[in-house]
Amino acid sequence: MKRTYGLALGAALAGLAGAASADATWGDFPGTTLRVKLIGGAQYEPLYAEIPKWEAATGARVEIISRKNHFELDREIKQDIAARTLDWCVGSNHTSFAPQYGDIYIDLREVVPEEVLAGFVPLVLEHSTVGGRLVQLPRHSDVSNLYFIRSLFENEDNKARFKAQYGYDLAPPETWAQVKDMAMFFANPPAFYGFQFVGKDEAVNGRFYEMLVAEGGQMFTEGWEPAFNSDAGVRALQFFVDLYQAKAVPAGVPNYLWDDTGLGFASGSVALNLDWGGWSAFFNDPANSKVAGDVGLVRAPKGSAGIRTGWSGSHTFSITETCPSKAAAASFVTFLTDYERQMIEARRGLLPTRTQVWEDAKAEFAASGNDFMLHVFSTFQASMAEDAFTPILIPEWIEISNIMWPKIQAAILGDMTAREALDAAAKEVRELMEDAGYL
Amino acid sequence: MTRDLRRQLKAAALWLTAFLLMVVMCVPGLWVVLSAFRPNREILAKPPVWLPEQLTLDNFAKIFGFGADQVAIPVAAYFWNSMVIALTSTVIALAIGTAGGYAFARFRFRFKNAVFLGLMLFRAVPGIALSLPVFILWSRLGLIDAQLGLIIVYVALNVPFTAWLIDGFFRQIPEQLSEAAQVDGCTRWQAFWRIEFPLARSGIAAAGVFAFLTSWNEFALASQLTRSTDSKTLPVGLMDFTAQFTIDWAGMCAMAVIIIVPALILTFLVQKHLISGLTFGGVKG
Amino acid sequence: MARILTSRRAALTPLLLLLPAIATMLFVVALPLVFSLWTSFTPYRLTRPDTLYDVIGLRNYIRLMSDAAFWVAFGRTVLFLAIALNVEFLLGLGIALLINRITWGQRGLRTIMMFPMMFSPILVGFQFKFIFNDNIGILNNALQSLGLTDQAIPWLVDARLAMFSIIFAEVWMSTSVFAILLLAGLFAMPRDPLEAAKVDGCNAWQVFRHIMLPFLMPFAFIAMTIRSLDVARAYDIVAVMTGGGPAGRTELLWTLIARVGYDNARMGQANAMAYVSTLLSVLFTWYFFRKLVAARRYMGGAQ
Repeated sequence: MKRTYGLALGAALAGLAGAASADATWGDFPGTTLRVKLIGGAQYEPLYAEIPKWEAATGARVEIISRKNHFELDREIKQDIAARTLDWCVGSNHTSFAPQYGDIYIDLREVVPEEVLAGFVPLVLEHSTVGGRLVQLPRHSDVSNLYFIRSLFENEDNKARFKAQYGYDLAPPETWAQVKDMAMFFANPPAFYGFQFVGKDEAVNGRFYEMLVAEGGQMFTEGWEPAFNSDAGVRALQFFVDLYQAKAVPAGVPNYLWDDTGLGFASGSVALNLDWGGWSAFFNDPANSKVAGDVGLVRAPKGSAGIRTGWSGSHTFSITETCPSKAAAASFVTFLTDYERQMIEARRGLLPTRTQVWEDAKAEFAASGNDFMLHVFSTFQASMAEDAFTPILIPEWIEISNIMWPKIQAAILGDMTAREALDAAAKEVRELMEDAGYL
Repeated sequence: MTRDLRRQLKAAALWLTAFLLMVVMCVPGLWVVLSAFRPNREILAKPPVWLPEQLTLDNFAKIFGFGADQVAIPVAAYFWNSMVIALTSTVIALAIGTAGGYAFARFRFRFKNAVFLGLMLFRAVPGIALSLPVFILWSRLGLIDAQLGLIIVYVALNVPFTAWLIDGFFRQIPEQLSEAAQVDGCTRWQAFWRIEFPLARSGIAAAGVFAFLTSWNEFALASQLTRSTDSKTLPVGLMDFTAQFTIDWAGMCAMAVIIIVPALILTFLVQKHLISGLTFGGVKG
Repeated sequence: MARILTSRRAALTPLLLLLPAIATMLFVVALPLVFSLWTSFTPYRLTRPDTLYDVIGLRNYIRLMSDAAFWVAFGRTVLFLAIALNVEFLLGLGIALLINRITWGQRGLRTIMMFPMMFSPILVGFQFKFIFNDNIGILNNALQSLGLTDQAIPWLVDARLAMFSIIFAEVWMSTSVFAILLLAGLFAMPRDPLEAAKVDGCNAWQVFRHIMLPFLMPFAFIAMTIRSLDVARAYDIVAVMTGGGPAGRTELLWTLIARVGYDNARMGQANAMAYVSTLLSVLFTWYFFRKLVAARRYMGGAQ
């Protein structure tokens, strides 16, 4: 009891300190109207309910001209660049997409004070930098860790059988090789599967890419020659191929995206699931998930090179070069990413980008006895600080992905061997890099 | 008596067969409607939950922002936009199409077939090929995120079919009727408006239903040309239920019901005209 | 006769009446097409608007000619259209023949029949994506519960099944259009020849084959023409269900164009593809239209 009290007090004090260190006054912008494009969707909306507070404090008005998911928003922004209709000020952005947009966004270091930026996790700010310019202010981060059904690992019968079959103890996996063993051990298709992965679009390429890194490989050489068709690359791709061919993952994975894997794990029919932090609250919510109360989580396992997978991205806000009221826009994005706002999002399970919010959110979870979320935040904090890496931040990344993923799928489905698929992809990627002037 | 009874029984059996077949055909759609009243956990469950354990209006409540922690979807604005855009574009397409159809049916002029075929072929251009050029043109004209922008596009989508159907319909109406009226002192316009137009009503109603359904359900172009509640239509609003990583399928189903019901009611009301309208239209060249 | 007006007015009036229709189509379709034709001769990238002014001649088209992925998608699109349109026609015909025999409560049945037409293509896409999901989808769940299979059938992954699935969704959405138009045709059918044929001792099949079907064909071609006009609506369905995957197994021209144009931002290349795809749509429409004109002649209708 006493300890809880102490923690809560600590949290409150830290909260005060956090709020004080951020810009307490948001400036005065009466008569200004900010036109903004924001990412929409249930997880992202609660933050926007805070906007009236900023409007009241500054006298400015915010006009949300667009609210869509990021793939839609991406299309819209490209249209705006094409039609030269960048008649808005602030846009939601994402670290994986940002390099494509060229120089339509300003360098935020020019308008956001250094002491405000000091509050962010340094690695995340680094990921938000494109060509030396801080083009976006991170709102929350995403990285994947390994969820699992706890009771499966605690079952004595499972433990004994696993030990007999594989020669080591059944415990939450530390390496991807173990994940493979356990996935095959638990799989009982079509009733139950050991593992699953997203199998198409940029998503499967991201999964391949992080596995490539974990196996000690790289996408490109220093001189931008494709290097992913190395032995490490083949090992990385073979991991997915083997699981698919062994039917340890659902047969439909080549058509799965994030909602399919998330809903699949929530349906209780999958033992292990590499997924984003934003899902944790959903998985543990009895209204949505059958595995609520039985969800375990460990840091993403290591590849054979001893590196953990850590493909990561952050949702961010950017300010356009064409914005007529950059000071108001800077105040607005600072407001949306400040301590209080991040606490609101963190309480809902989104991973914050401010060092202080990580600590205080954990303290709050501890104080309210929410051990699950406390564990989630501790796990994800460690991976954000130590494991996270972004895709290669060049404008061609999405196009490279679009070359890669059909080839990766072809290998998974057995149309090609892993080596053939990667060689074929490397040839096309090389042409792309030549066209783009890298080679 | 027995023969009568047997005939009635046979008719009833036939009706039942047809009804069951229609229901089977509609199952994928009915599943959507049923899902609107069930929580996500039950719809996409494994093992499946066949008999709904609970029917709930929560999905609708969430859309309107009652009780739930989700920000309300501006469904009233979407509904209003959809109604205004679909109705206005249908009325305009019918007006333009009636004028065009009348011209095809009642006049001989050079390049008639070429013009007719041209209208059709322009309509055959896939939306995906048009979306960007239309976007750039519209942005120059300030028609992005405006109801008017979408109305113009939908008029173009519907004019060719409307003109064609109505053309066929006017051909069915004996020219003598209008001529007789003109002999009696009507102008050609009066003759058209008082005699020919009322007779063509069924055909116009049928064309109207098709035009309305096309506009009401169109997604590809609407998703490019609309941005905010100023112009977003209901099908575009469906995408509000997809976040970065999740799809709220139950919520989407609830929204789908909101989209389907008005269209269904309209179709039922116009059903009588629909068949007779299509019957006379189009066939006899 | 009214038709014999002064030649000047006769020439002017139809033009005036048609002007709104022509103007609309020129403004909404022809003008944008001119723009996209221009871009297809440039390396136009959405994210670099200045590339709109670099002319590279026919290079986009030349690239297309040697692009195997493009031609595979082209062939698959033709196959998709051919199968979907024919299946829709046959099913629509069956439904129309059945409903036509109903004497009571037909209006309600006709409304039920048109139920799928109320579904936006984007919704149809999501709906069948979930129905065909291999793990938690309702179809596999049903098959497994009924003991028809103990496998999780990969509806959206297996090359043949994936094509089947997207065609199924398209057919589900559009069969009603055929049914309602063919039903209209049946309603318009004169009674006399049918009675005469029965008196002459024709059996049901002969009556159908030699009297009803020729009469119905114009309606079928109308439906085909209408459907081929906006069959590209299937893009919304396929984009949601499979996105052209996996491994390009369900790639149609439209999904390919959307990816090249928007995701890769190579609009010039995409518009060159779009032109070829437009050509395909135009050919399909033109083909059915010719059939329609021929069928009308067969029926003895005037031009």
